[in-house]
Amino acid sequence: MTTIRVSNLHFSYQEDFEVLKEINVEFDHRSTAIIGQNGAGKTTFVKLLKGLLLPTQGDIWIKDYNTKENTVAFLAQHIGLVFQNPNDQIFKSNVLDEVSFGPCNIGFDQKTATEKAKDALQMVGLLDKQNLNPYDLTLSERKLVSIASIVAMDTDILIFDEPTIAQDFVGREKVKQIIKDLIRKGKLVITIIHDMDFVAETFDRAIVFYNGNILLDGDTREVFSHKEELKKAYLEPPHVTQLANRLGIDKVFLNDEELTNYLKNIELKPQA
Amino acid sequence: MRSLSLYQQGDSILHKLDPLTKILYIVVALALPSITASVKVSIACIISGLLLITFAKVLKNMVPIVSFSTIVILTIFIIQGMFYYANENVLFTLGPMTFYREGMLYALKIGLRIYNIITSVSLLVLTTRPSDLIEALVRKGLSPKIGYVLSSILQIIPQMTSMMNTITDAQRARGMETEGSLLVRMKAFIPLLGPMVMSSLVGTRERAMALEVRAFSSSRKKTFLNKPMESAQSTIWRVVLLIILIGAVIWRVTS
Repeated sequence: MTTIRVSNLHFSYQEDFEVLKEINVEFDHRSTAIIGQNGAGKTTFVKLLKGLLLPTQGDIWIKDYNTKENTVAFLAQHIGLVFQNPNDQIFKSNVLDEVSFGPCNIGFDQKTATEKAKDALQMVGLLDKQNLNPYDLTLSERKLVSIASIVAMDTDILIFDEPTIAQDFVGREKVKQIIKDLIRKGKLVITIIHDMDFVAETFDRAIVFYNGNILLDGDTREVFSHKEELKKAYLEPPHVTQLANRLGIDKVFLNDEELTNYLKNIELKPQA
Repeated sequence: MRSLSLYQQGDSILHKLDPLTKILYIVVALALPSITASVKVSIACIISGLLLITFAKVLKNMVPIVSFSTIVILTIFIIQGMFYYANENVLFTLGPMTFYREGMLYALKIGLRIYNIITSVSLLVLTTRPSDLIEALVRKGLSPKIGYVLSSILQIIPQMTSMMNTITDAQRARGMETEGSLLVRMKAFIPLLGPMVMSSLVGTRERAMALEVRAFSSSRKKTFLNKPMESAQSTIWRVVLLIILIGAVIWRVTS
């Protein structure tokens, strides 16, 4: 099942400099991480998917809707995007109103919108703070509010732009849990992220952007096995894989459990 | 980043001239027509301004400023030409409208003054980096705090524009319509303004602290990063300008 189709996409902000060149890619149900150096064109790419920017050449279809022919507000029923900085969107004086703003906009009635908002707050663990002013929350909680406000819109596609920014370990685990919950509910989750451990632990598919182009695209494990290309894009495999490689095991491990299981099962060689 | 100023990059003598001398030029160019009360002097000042601007290769940047003020000046001609209190002699009639000689002359005087102001001030703003101007004023004793306020205004407005774009995107991403009828736009106002005001307030506090950790309000005498722009050339310019000014005063008093 294809949910997003990008064909022959070119984009530039200024005439003489192409930010994205000749991108052809399809997204299915698999959760996908978009990785790459700063300035590789990742944020521009997701803004194009969302319809906030329009291709200078080529087309993007979200389900059956071409982003060129539909308004951003219409596309919002199908695709949600969580921005990097939560302060760019928060304007209501309590958390619940803030989170139900999106669902109200895309045509849910007040009652359903409130229900969706409460479900979303439950998911991010802020239900008990629904009546507080968002600006009384910490930055990491506000980030969760901004995530909840997109989750509440109940779109089939969700995009996160660096969701782990400003999160401590607990917050990071929370975000991971939210993403996994969404995947379980059958949503397509696309995430821009710089934390390779997070990518390995959470996503099925990884796409590497380099210089406005797609350098690698495939199952996360497979992508992390292309050491040369990763180096070219200034990326490193997950720490657990790096550790294994230093131990002389030339395999990709996505989490510590995989490595410990592997180590338990090999026979210890007698010391020479 | 884009900055809020009309400054045009260049390397003419006028670009290298220090800002205070250019300010002195404005003062003299504006004072001369009043002192001499002569239309010819007004025209001479405008021409000299235009020549200097042409010399600094920024003449084409003046076009939008001039064309805007021309609209204003046209209305002055219409109103004064028809309704000036001393109107007596008919100059010409245009359908039901009658224009008088006295009013048109009066409008001409005002028009010349406005063009004079525009040319001489353009000379300053088109060839001077705002930060250089502010630094020159601070050197002459303007409080550095006011200097900071002035330069930050120029930086903050473009910054706010780009922040506004991000906020608009974030709200559109949540299904908010921002384009369409007046009602739609008005409804969109609060969701856009809220984050804007909050972010600006938070930003101001952060900026104040960032300045303070770098000893902004220290009472020590501050030094400057850049060398002063004044040169021997500035002195010559200043002396010449002052001589012209004093000469005009003497001419007026004696004649």
